[in-house]
Amino acid sequence: MGADSNPLAHPEVQQASVIGYVAGFVASMALLGVALLITELHVLPPMVLLGGISGLALCALLAQCVMFFGLNISAHNIWKSVSLILTIPLFILTIGLTVWMFQQLDALTMMPGSGVMPGMNSQPTLLQ
Amino acid sequence: MAIPVIKDGEMPPLWHYGHDDHDVISTKTLGFWLYMLSDALIFAGIFAAYAVLDHQMNFADGPSEAQIVHPIAAFGQTFAVLASVLAYSLATVAMKHGNVRGVLLGIAAAIVLGAVFLALELSDFAALFAMNATPDRSGFLSAFYVLIATHGLHMMFGILWLLVMAAQVLRFGFTRDVVAQMLNLRLFWQFQAAVWVCVYVFVYLKGSI
Repeated sequence: MGADSNPLAHPEVQQASVIGYVAGFVASMALLGVALLITELHVLPPMVLLGGISGLALCALLAQCVMFFGLNISAHNIWKSVSLILTIPLFILTIGLTVWMFQQLDALTMMPGSGVMPGMNSQPTLLQ
Repeated sequence: MAIPVIKDGEMPPLWHYGHDDHDVISTKTLGFWLYMLSDALIFAGIFAAYAVLDHQMNFADGPSEAQIVHPIAAFGQTFAVLASVLAYSLATVAMKHGNVRGVLLGIAAAIVLGAVFLALELSDFAALFAMNATPDRSGFLSAFYVLIATHGLHMMFGILWLLVMAAQVLRFGFTRDVVAQMLNLRLFWQFQAAVWVCVYVFVYLKGSI
């Protein structure tokens, strides 16, 4: 029987699962709850804390990709997974490159020695 | 036209001569998935702007991030958006079983929780406006409001779409087009939860470090 004869038999309808969605919800709430907890406790040094909550956010996003979006390498869903993987470099370039560029600009031109990036006091080579 | 059945271990054919009938639901959901990836790139651009403007110099003697974000209060929004996504996702499980009542119940719960999210966000904005932290106050606040409000607008249009789908399910039942739109809305709504994870961690939590 083809998918067109009964829309509810379509694999994307059939992939809906109570356990998967509840697990995605619980995992997201738990990971963000832990992130809130370690932020509020203020015991970790700021950069370690930032790395920690970034890691927890990444875990929550991965959990949602698998449990909510249902991404996997099955014949039906592989092109969604592939297109997401091909888009991730664009996210990294957009955000990472922008932040890196402005940090360099800040260190080079705005407020030399303001300590935005420790260790940047040596002669810059970026723009030579 | 029936989709060819692929046995285990057999490579699916790359094309069929004369096969001009596509799996309409898959075509629509893949197209919408690609659209949501481009939407994600818009958010990436806004996050990049926020990351740059989240700097001492761009506070312009106005409030800093630590003074305007309240991560514990915003955790209520986190719960509202994730519970709303869960409610709608469960509605699509009801759809799998052909259960119209379950679908409408899930959509109703998703609308209520989405509205709770927006109400919390608007009351947060009202409190910020009361302390004179308006979008025109500084470059940082402009970026803050653009980021939060872009997500809020997505939530608002999502609620509108939820209302439309409730009406369509009642009027047409689970036709091919209604099912495809239900699946696309699930993707759109789940995407809002993924964006909120980034907003919550990189605006609310990072702001209070």
